[in-house]
Amino acid sequence: MNTSLKVQRSTFKWAVIVIAAAAITLIAGADASAMLTAKANHDHITIDFFYHGSSVSVKGLSDPGRDLVIKIASPEGHQVLKQKGKVAGILWMNVGSLSFERTPNFYEVFSSRRLDDMLTQEEREKYALGYKALEKSIEVSPVKNDEEKSRWFNEFVKYKEASNLYASSEGKIETTTLADGHQEYFILTQWPHQATPGEYTVTVYAVKDGKVVEQAESHVNVAQVGMVKTLASMAKDSAVFYGFLSVGIALGAGFGVGLIFRKGGGAH
Amino acid sequence: MYLYLPVALTSINILIPVGLGLAVGLLSGLFGVGGGFLMTPLLIMFGIPSTVAAATDSNQIVAASTSGTYAHWKVGNVDFKMGIYLLIGGFVGGLIGVQAIKLLHAMGNADFVIKMTYVVMLGIVGVYMFIESIQSMRKKKDAAAPEVKDQKESAVARFLKSLPLQTRFEKSGVTHSALVPIVLGTFVGILAAIMGVGGGFLMVPVMVYMLRMPMHVVVGTSLFQILFTCIEVTFLQATTNHSVDFMLAVLLLVGSTVGAQVGAVFGRKLKGEQLKVLLATIVLVVTIKIVFELTMAPSLLLSQAGGH
Repeated sequence: MNTSLKVQRSTFKWAVIVIAAAAITLIAGADASAMLTAKANHDHITIDFFYHGSSVSVKGLSDPGRDLVIKIASPEGHQVLKQKGKVAGILWMNVGSLSFERTPNFYEVFSSRRLDDMLTQEEREKYALGYKALEKSIEVSPVKNDEEKSRWFNEFVKYKEASNLYASSEGKIETTTLADGHQEYFILTQWPHQATPGEYTVTVYAVKDGKVVEQAESHVNVAQVGMVKTLASMAKDSAVFYGFLSVGIALGAGFGVGLIFRKGGGAH
Repeated sequence: MYLYLPVALTSINILIPVGLGLAVGLLSGLFGVGGGFLMTPLLIMFGIPSTVAAATDSNQIVAASTSGTYAHWKVGNVDFKMGIYLLIGGFVGGLIGVQAIKLLHAMGNADFVIKMTYVVMLGIVGVYMFIESIQSMRKKKDAAAPEVKDQKESAVARFLKSLPLQTRFEKSGVTHSALVPIVLGTFVGILAAIMGVGGGFLMVPVMVYMLRMPMHVVVGTSLFQILFTCIEVTFLQATTNHSVDFMLAVLLLVGSTVGAQVGAVFGRKLKGEQLKVLLATIVLVVTIKIVFELTMAPSLLLSQAGGH
């Protein structure tokens, strides 16, 4: 009883999702029967004072038997990071900076199987799927050769993973076959609080015989609201006022606490 | 409970900044240091971007040092005259230091010089203060002759006395040329700017050993001087780098203003030598920690640009 009710309700939900997603479905190949859909739920994340990350699920339908890859990424940009190295043989310190071009600040990739097993190298590089492919598409400077680039790219991934901004979860997409023969997929991912406000693109790739045959796209929008937004924009746009406010509050708090302690009998 | 920080763009458990504020504020009230050399690395460890950590810490020190100065002023332990002379010097030193850093960056080995200056200065200050205060504690125990100060009438002291503009610092009970605190303030200001710290841990020994001020007045006066330095730094950071996080500062100052009061009360119960030994120990521990960091392979070889 209970389960059939659940199924009914979820079928209804699916119908709504499929209709909603149909509008944003892109058709990659000339495959006339293409039907890949993607929908990120909780696609509008708001950052208020109590924000500590969120969770985002992506689900949709595909043709049966397709392998799937889901990539969530921020727009590509340019990042400069300080680079540590050894000085005088024993001392670790910053020795310069490295710039990473055409690099997303946020990059997560999920797949239904190992990427190497399901896609040719050419296809992986074409769509920047997986760290190895991403490495090819970004530029690191200054580096002397590919080996050095590779070494620093790995360090870059380590740095990003440490702040939860990069992740690679191969074999993490759950798929089930529906009664009508379609395959439905689902992932649930923790959205890190470190991800900065902005628009993130969720792209789902359907894979057949080592090639991407269909793509569908959805978006996750992260925005600050309320006081968080007010303070963040004040810090940027009214810096002088913000500076006075910060100093003023600090002075006030210092004096205030001083007075409280005086009344409390701390003095003699 | 977590709170989101609008400028740091990250979320933090509020117990962390409040607890850190309390601990560092306590040190501030006890020893007259801002505690930036402890607070900034701790904030970075908890995921705050380095530029925001340094700028917000100076904002927080404004509150802690106001609270601490107030507590010490109530019991007459702030030498305002000395503080103002040191401030003038510190201001000039800051300007020179910033230029020095630009020069170092242009020469390409800024980080090496900064780190080395840091380790050497912390090491010297820590070791010297530790040995000296242990010795003076022993001397007191032996009930030896109380005229320790007169023995040290060195050539340097004679030179200092021959300088013009001799003036009496009533609160500290010392007489110096006005040039002495200004020059020493400049010196500390230069080093502080190069190291990117407030300089309290340098200013305290300078006042104790070079200006010969009593330890309790040193603490209050140092806080007074730090207060103004940090107002200036906070304002500059807010307007040029936009890196002051108001929310984080508020969380930190909740702890640090209270900590500074508690520290000031505790400090009155301790003797000058005891305070010096404790501060020297903390400075030495920090030095050792930095040496470890410099020699052990870091887990991440890349870090955010900006700041030191």
